[in-house]
Amino acid sequence: MNHFDYFKPQSLEELWDLEKKFPGAKYIAGGTDLMVKIKNRSIKPQTLISLRSVGLPGIDIGEKVRIGAMTTITDLIEHPELGRIFPVLAQAAKRIGSPQIRNVGTVGGNLCNCSPCADTALALLILDARVVLRSSRGSREIALEEFFIGPGVSCLSGGELMTGILLDKPASNARAIFMKKGRVKMDLAVTSVGVLLEMEGDICKKARLAVGSVAPVPLRLKKVEELFENAVIPKEIIQEAQKIAVNSISPITDIRSTAEYRREIVSVYVKRALEKLLGNE
Amino acid sequence: MKKQINFVLNGSEVAVDVEAHQRLIDVLRGSLGHTGTKEGCGEGECGACTVIVDGRAVNSCLYPALEAEGRSITTIEGLRSIDNQLSVIQQAFVEQGGIQCGFCTPGMIMSTKALLDQNPDPTEEEIRDALVGNLCRCTGYVQIIESVKSAAQKLKG
Repeated sequence: MNHFDYFKPQSLEELWDLEKKFPGAKYIAGGTDLMVKIKNRSIKPQTLISLRSVGLPGIDIGEKVRIGAMTTITDLIEHPELGRIFPVLAQAAKRIGSPQIRNVGTVGGNLCNCSPCADTALALLILDARVVLRSSRGSREIALEEFFIGPGVSCLSGGELMTGILLDKPASNARAIFMKKGRVKMDLAVTSVGVLLEMEGDICKKARLAVGSVAPVPLRLKKVEELFENAVIPKEIIQEAQKIAVNSISPITDIRSTAEYRREIVSVYVKRALEKLLGNE
Repeated sequence: MKKQINFVLNGSEVAVDVEAHQRLIDVLRGSLGHTGTKEGCGEGECGACTVIVDGRAVNSCLYPALEAEGRSITTIEGLRSIDNQLSVIQQAFVEQGGIQCGFCTPGMIMSTKALLDQNPDPTEEEIRDALVGNLCRCTGYVQIIESVKSAAQKLKG
């Protein structure tokens, strides 16, 4: 069995003390990703510092919306208002793992694990989320898309941890959809697509598209977004969008699927998502 | 690094020494002798290790033992009714053929209990979603779904 020390700081001050005392210690949130990596020996930390009792704030809905990083996926889904304000976020969160995983896993953990397939990442990217990162030296706020550097690699450094996710409430004419292809319901995404459109009549005022599992990071499809801005979106534009989407991604062949199949699914899902949102399926 | 933790197990207070690196399943099966909870994959995929913590189903193979402090935990051993009879859910699984080798059964039953405690009248879709984290190599799941439906019926009275 893998041996490590495990600490449960009761405040951020206590956490910074431990972090200084044990450089190289790993932070553990829900543990549903980290404990698996430890079991498989892909990481061998000597020390784990739990974030559960540190007292990070929860969900706050005001002019802006703040989601505490330690919010479990289940709490995110079951929050009485969050699902109403951001249906696409609840839609994505419901597709994560199983009830057992969702009851313990956290949205911060889902993001900080930096998997290209992270389901909440896609929904949060199309919602233009920003994240708050804190260390003993202070805090900073960055756009979520700047957070992901590569598979498993974020821009967290110097003992930083993510404390919260910030969102603006979407415009009243915004509609969004999240689609995930897995082999079975509990799977990680073979490919996933998130699309948000703000329509004024026939004209698209804002478009956000993101794809998962087809690039080193959860990826915004900015070229497709540019195509749609202030445009009417007839069938021909959708076909153009599909082509651009497929050319923007760099899928690999791995144990879950092939690069070819992933390209195919991205093309199909971009089309289906747009048709659903535009009401012409 | 050893530490004593205190929590409620199946309705009774327990105090137990745990090592920092132990998982909840290690403490339940080891020091506490509650071997009803099974370890299948050890990775949170098969659900054989499912127990209920503060009303919610969790994979005890991924749950650090030290996080059990102060919580209320229910394992399959906690489902016995009076006179050591099987609980309604367990009886339903027996009657409906939801058990073959029995290895997945404690986990299936704990996920079922967590579901029915929250949602006493689930649709088949909701049952399937609730059990998506519990794998069975024997039954093909049909009789398991029937067992959950039967238990829900009986519990509704």
